[in-house]
Amino acid sequence: MIKRVLIANRGEIALRVIRACRELGIESVAVFSDADRHAPHVLAADRAEHIGGSPAPESYLNIPALLDAARRSGADAVHPGYGFLSERAHFARACVDAGLIFVGPGAEAIERMGSKIGARQLMQQAGVPVVPGETPADQSDAALTASVSNIGFPALIKPSAGGGGIGMKTVRTQGEVLAAVQSARREAQAAFGDGTLYVERLVERPRHVEIQVFADRHGQVVHLFERECSIQRRHQKALEESPCPVLAPVVRQRMGDAAVAAARAAGYVNAGTIEFLLAGEGVDAQFFFLEMNTRLQVEHPVTEAVVGVDLVRAQLLVASGKPLPWSQESLSQRGHAIECRIYAEDPTAGFLPQAGRLLMYRAPEGPGIRVDAGVVEGSEVSVFYDPLLAKLIVSAETRATAIERAVAALRQYVVLGIRTNIPFLLAILQHPRFVAGEIDTSFLDAEGQALRETIGSEDMPMAGFAAAAAHLDDQRRDRGAPPAPAAADPFDTIGTWGVR
Amino acid sequence: MSALELRLGERIVTATVNADGRIVIDDVAYVVTSVGDRLYRVSSGDLQWTVAVAGPPDNRWVHVDGQVAKIEVETLGRSPRARPRSAHHDLSAPMPATVTRVLVAPGSAVARGDTLLMLEAMKMELPIRAPRDGVVKAIHCEAGQLVQPGTNLLDLE
Repeated sequence: MIKRVLIANRGEIALRVIRACRELGIESVAVFSDADRHAPHVLAADRAEHIGGSPAPESYLNIPALLDAARRSGADAVHPGYGFLSERAHFARACVDAGLIFVGPGAEAIERMGSKIGARQLMQQAGVPVVPGETPADQSDAALTASVSNIGFPALIKPSAGGGGIGMKTVRTQGEVLAAVQSARREAQAAFGDGTLYVERLVERPRHVEIQVFADRHGQVVHLFERECSIQRRHQKALEESPCPVLAPVVRQRMGDAAVAAARAAGYVNAGTIEFLLAGEGVDAQFFFLEMNTRLQVEHPVTEAVVGVDLVRAQLLVASGKPLPWSQESLSQRGHAIECRIYAEDPTAGFLPQAGRLLMYRAPEGPGIRVDAGVVEGSEVSVFYDPLLAKLIVSAETRATAIERAVAALRQYVVLGIRTNIPFLLAILQHPRFVAGEIDTSFLDAEGQALRETIGSEDMPMAGFAAAAAHLDDQRRDRGAPPAPAAADPFDTIGTWGVR
Repeated sequence: MSALELRLGERIVTATVNADGRIVIDDVAYVVTSVGDRLYRVSSGDLQWTVAVAGPPDNRWVHVDGQVAKIEVETLGRSPRARPRSAHHDLSAPMPATVTRVLVAPGSAVARGDTLLMLEAMKMELPIRAPRDGVVKAIHCEAGQLVQPGTNLLDLE
């Protein structure tokens, strides 16, 4: 069994790993940059090692410094968390070469799934559906037309050498194909000096649905069902849930089987995620392999909540050579869970990242509420790292009750000193399309403007009254007088809660 | 009785405090009670809200029911404090950031809304756009440079 783990990460995920270590009786070693000297993950670990300057390349991406810290602290394993070096095959290899256990897949599996073209071929061989597409060897009009018919409508015709949407044509009927092929070829030739065309099925209004997989060193591979992650803005997810509201049991079964086949084909060990595009709903829905994330995901608590497992604990067990603590038959989904990512960004100012001190931080509590935070009151949010402050994960019996719980929890979530996306998350959770489960990856692009307009800080009379009261308290204190008396009788503070 | 001026974004309202301790804004009176560390109960009749307040008076942060407001409070009747506006430059970084791309050169004619520079902070790209039509006169930064808020990045004529 692993005895001492160095956690090559920071923030909430470092704290998450430290908790799992503590429960397993494993010692934890935190690492920190200059900016993180007093960060919560540094205080929570059993040991802490300074690894360099504030910019990530000098610290959390600095492999020699991390390996040095592992050596100094006597760690026998490294947990990479997510982001930073977690999907860099050469880091996994460097850890193993230094005699350390890498809590994750082998370097070869990371490499194999890190190559888009290679991974696509591997998945096709394993029988995992991919978005149909090809670059026909014969680039004549006739051959390309045949290729489009072969792939099916609607289809995309695009320059093989291209990018940025130049020369990309959507065709929905046979009659449009010839003209589209000719103009795409002309534009490709003009823009890239290469008229070679690629033909691909267009997946319209897809959902992003991913399957959690887990494999041990003894040949066992299981899946832990899906997470629906369609609520994203420029590939940054805002909110995830499980189960996916439109997944029929038979499709879920097929996706789970495909994900297990994918993990087997990749020679995968430890926790991973197979991302799929899902088109359509119910039993007719189709799914296509997108990519594999060869690490723990930010949104792993959603799976933990509905399946009732501890994924990080399992990671540490599997990395120690133990068998998976579950069989496929022992795993089932129960209830509904939603994760809201709390970001330091201003939704009313183009989602500008925010930096500064958290003057006040009060996380919500209650049944079915979990908060994984990387900050505490007084924390300094710096510009050097990802703006994720915390994750709120709610679980409840049904999707509707989970939404209600998330709304109630977010309304109690006090973060003052920097702007956060909490008002934006509240707007999403109460949007009729979200409530109805009618979401796809374009949801935030389509509805973002309307959602932002519901965020109102202008019309808040209550805020004015409280600010005035706080000011009066400060004035009294300045004069040396005691502050206004707090409510004398605790029962005074109990009353009906107002709804505006 | 004292009066306070509250600034909430573009809005300015006056709050007066009655002898009975109630606070009046726009002819509406509420009872405000301190109920804990920087927590206040604002109530009127049957309804009440718990409101969190933090920060100095000139930059007060207030939380009500999942929404956040920034409010400046000033006591009326005294000579108004000088309120220095941050040095206004044509184009500056809104926060500490790294310049990733400079998309224009001195002499470039630009239209309002054109992207002039790309900054990166906290793994997010921040485009700096032209506030009006004009010609780029000078550029005061280069790709890779770490820039601070308030520093002028570019002159536009």
